[in-house]
Amino acid sequence: MKYLDDTTKAMLKKVAFDEKQEHSASFLATDWDVLDTHSTEDGLEILPIGTALDKYEWLRELFFTLIEKDKDTYVKEVASSDVLLGYFIRIKAGVKISLPVYTCYMINSDTFTQCTHNIIIAEENSELHLISGCTANAHILSGRHLGVTEYFIEEGATVTSTMIHSWGKEVEVYPRSAANVGKNAKFISNYVAMGSVKKLQMDPLAVIEEGGLGEFYSVIYATENSQFDIGSTVILNGDGASSEIISRVVSNGGEVTTRGKIVGKHQNGRGAMACNGLLLSKKGYIHAIPELLGQDPRLELSHEASVGMISKDELAYLMASGIEEEKAKSLIIEGFLDLKIPSLPDYLQRQINAIVKETKDFETM
Amino acid sequence: MDVPVLKIIDLHVSIEKKKIIKGMNLSVGKGEVHVIFGPNGSGKSTLLNAILKLPGYSIDDGEIRVKSKNIQDMTTDEIANMGIGMSFQHPPKIKGVTLRNFLNAINRTEDLDDEIRALNMEDFLDRELNVGFSGGELKRAEVLKLYAQSPDLLLIDEPESGVDIENIAVISKAINKILQKEAPINLRERSAIIITHTGHILNYIDADIGHVFMDGKIVCTGKPKSIMEDIKKLGFSGCAACIKEPKDRI
Repeated sequence: MKYLDDTTKAMLKKVAFDEKQEHSASFLATDWDVLDTHSTEDGLEILPIGTALDKYEWLRELFFTLIEKDKDTYVKEVASSDVLLGYFIRIKAGVKISLPVYTCYMINSDTFTQCTHNIIIAEENSELHLISGCTANAHILSGRHLGVTEYFIEEGATVTSTMIHSWGKEVEVYPRSAANVGKNAKFISNYVAMGSVKKLQMDPLAVIEEGGLGEFYSVIYATENSQFDIGSTVILNGDGASSEIISRVVSNGGEVTTRGKIVGKHQNGRGAMACNGLLLSKKGYIHAIPELLGQDPRLELSHEASVGMISKDELAYLMASGIEEEKAKSLIIEGFLDLKIPSLPDYLQRQINAIVKETKDFETM
Repeated sequence: MDVPVLKIIDLHVSIEKKKIIKGMNLSVGKGEVHVIFGPNGSGKSTLLNAILKLPGYSIDDGEIRVKSKNIQDMTTDEIANMGIGMSFQHPPKIKGVTLRNFLNAINRTEDLDDEIRALNMEDFLDRELNVGFSGGELKRAEVLKLYAQSPDLLLIDEPESGVDIENIAVISKAINKILQKEAPINLRERSAIIITHTGHILNYIDADIGHVFMDGKIVCTGKPKSIMEDIKKLGFSGCAACIKEPKDRI
């Protein structure tokens, strides 16, 4: 890998990218430059997307199939970009790798617009764990990140994808992702965003086939002058398909809209959603919009949503145990954001919790 | 002579402008265990909550002194850190905060392993604090908290409420250990105020001084067991005479 200065390394570490940690494969790009692409495991392929398109003619057939080129202005901008930046990851049928693949995009030039397109293919009965960081370097005042990611998760495969964002005050971010989750396949998507961003808007889509499972967890800590509009849309497209969407949002002055939509089309489908928000300040807001659409009487769909402030009783209880007020608030916020993801391997859960803890900035107002 | 751990002088406390405590005096010395009897809704818990200055409790008049220091300008955590620990009657559920993380945040003792085992709390350490706990489990967690805090004065609010006999025995044994009940009174370092309306806890914990709290005041002070016998026979209505003519029964 090319030389990285200490500041860059520190910024990458904030989004869980550390060249020294154990990994099965890794990818790193700053601005348009791909600095690293390598795999240490047989059956796990990682390539810059341009190289992959040259190598595999069939890949062109998959390009922009889950997300249409003209979906919105941001996808159009990615589709018409002169530079093709992105990664291709393929795990072969039956290969199961517990060590994560680490990928990271960094904006390293001021006012830069970074367009990316990623393709992830998990062949039948394979298992892949992906941890993706996205960040802007410390000196960046403004920039834009537009990303398209298409997941093809074939029958019986498992993919966990954990995305960690830490941007700057004047950076705009518009990721677009879609997943096709095959028969009896599992897709677990975790999203962690800490700190400030000018505007971040995304609404990943997953289509779950028969017996498949899609789980979406998001943890957001929004500071003042940050705007988040995030959501997940899941289509239960086969018998017995199931999904869970859980979001935990803390607004410390940030404006957050959190959406969730589950569409059930077939029998024995199950979908559950929980959007919980904690407001720390009179500035900003949390707008929770859960949506359920059932198209078969044999479905089970449910949702819960709550938005409120830190409970006075909880705070008083902790203080009555000798914990000073700011530390008590931090304990409550940290606990609120400490999502337990049942289907995630323990070591990944521990890592995500560590990331949340590491990147937290829980000053309260 | 030792300074009292707690001294309450002509205390008046209200909740949302409703007067609950109307001129109360109390002194708790080092090593003493006081038990306060009183009917439901009489304001016994208000006293404990006021000592820790919990939100919603307004001290309108009088003084609370912890180790001779007036708590008037102190915050709840500062009072707790003066050596006051409270076992809540209804502790709140705190989602996301595990019992382990909570204990780590407050622990003043080296090692809690024995206490965790004695209170059968090993399986609860990684559970969210008080979430889905039964009545007995809540009380055991509260007592474990007291172990971790290692306070000089324990405020114990209705330890027997919502708890089965087996759990009362476990909780009482732990409280007796914290209160160093095996040592002679002159060597005991810790004191307690125990609030009860049934008095059942006295079958398990020896208290030194009993009080009856009615109509916002202590109306009777005496030997805890003899007060409890009277209450058993006559009920709290039998204490009405004491309101007219307070007397010391020690």
